[in-house]
Amino acid sequence: MKVLAIDTSTMMATCAVLDEERLLGEFSLNQDMSHSENLIPMVKEIMDNLKLEISDIDLFAASIGPGSFTGLRIGIATVKSLAHVLDKPVVGISTLEGLAFNIVRSGIIVPMIDARRNRVYTAIYKKDGQRLKSLLDPTTMDIDELLELLDKEHTNIVVNGNGASLYRDKIKDKLKDRVEFAPISLNSPRAASIAELALIKKDEIEHNYYNLVPIYLKESQAQQDIRKREG
Amino acid sequence: MVKIVLKGLEETEEFGKKLGSLLQAGDLISLTGDLGAGKTTLTKSIGLGLGVADYITSPTFTLINEYRGRVMLYHFDVYRLEGADDLLDLGYEDYFYSNGVTIVEWGDKIENILPEERININIEKGKELDERIVTLSGKGERFEKIVRELNLN
Repeated sequence: MKVLAIDTSTMMATCAVLDEERLLGEFSLNQDMSHSENLIPMVKEIMDNLKLEISDIDLFAASIGPGSFTGLRIGIATVKSLAHVLDKPVVGISTLEGLAFNIVRSGIIVPMIDARRNRVYTAIYKKDGQRLKSLLDPTTMDIDELLELLDKEHTNIVVNGNGASLYRDKIKDKLKDRVEFAPISLNSPRAASIAELALIKKDEIEHNYYNLVPIYLKESQAQQDIRKREG
Repeated sequence: MVKIVLKGLEETEEFGKKLGSLLQAGDLISLTGDLGAGKTTLTKSIGLGLGVADYITSPTFTLINEYRGRVMLYHFDVYRLEGADDLLDLGYEDYFYSNGVTIVEWGDKIENILPEERININIEKGKELDERIVTLSGKGERFEKIVRELNLN
């Protein structure tokens, strides 16, 4: 079964084709937010080089957020339309779970995506065999609040994502030698991880090309106001 | 906070061009002032300073206009928006935190989602015809550098 996966939730545009045994091809560009111009040519480049037709793809996968609103819409709309035209199944995978899946090691994995103004999109995972067990479901959190939580409850932590890079010093100061930063090659979303997660989870996720939507995880104005009052 | 009195259209245009020439990728200006105070006119001059060749028009109806200059210029008008939630749907973050310069007219309406490091500019009519009083305030290194470089005394 061949999976084509796409992740455009951050500055990194990435797409990959993978089957049960091998990664056939992956193409990632970390350039700017011009995903709408780059994405389809990138997919075509991979497919042409692999001498595959788009109809050879059996399953489409997209990273569904959180992340850039525009980026998510580009990736998801692309995957939905390809799946629709070819009438193939489609699976959406959390961007944060995808990031955590990059990391192969025991212990606590905390992906972080910059959500601006001192906040990150984050989740807390623990490796459980081939799978990731979620200890904290994807949420938006103040970086200091997250570090407080990690400091209290966890040791042996790996962090990755652009949020981890942005707050590197702060994370290091708070968690000291209990935290490790992912190498650059595993720090950004990778479509190969999204593709593999899609293969693993395809039977339990009931997505189709109609109901697949982004998970923005953005607080509404009202929620922000409440937080401000209570904070 | 810096207050400048600009005597006439020419001085206002000079100020805008100078400011435009100093702006860098990533800068954000929140532009406030009453209707008719000259927010869009000032933006036109800033655009000239940024090397925008296109004719800059008001984004009141389009919400966002994009121009190609020395760096990209994203010109927002949020007057008609109900608040920050409407901007979420526009994908504002990809503009505010981009490799371009962003100018937000009526930025005070969405203050809680503007980046904290920004340049606030308020423009109001002065006593004389075509006189404008411009007030600059802000936070961050970029703001301080720009005020220094504007060399206002």
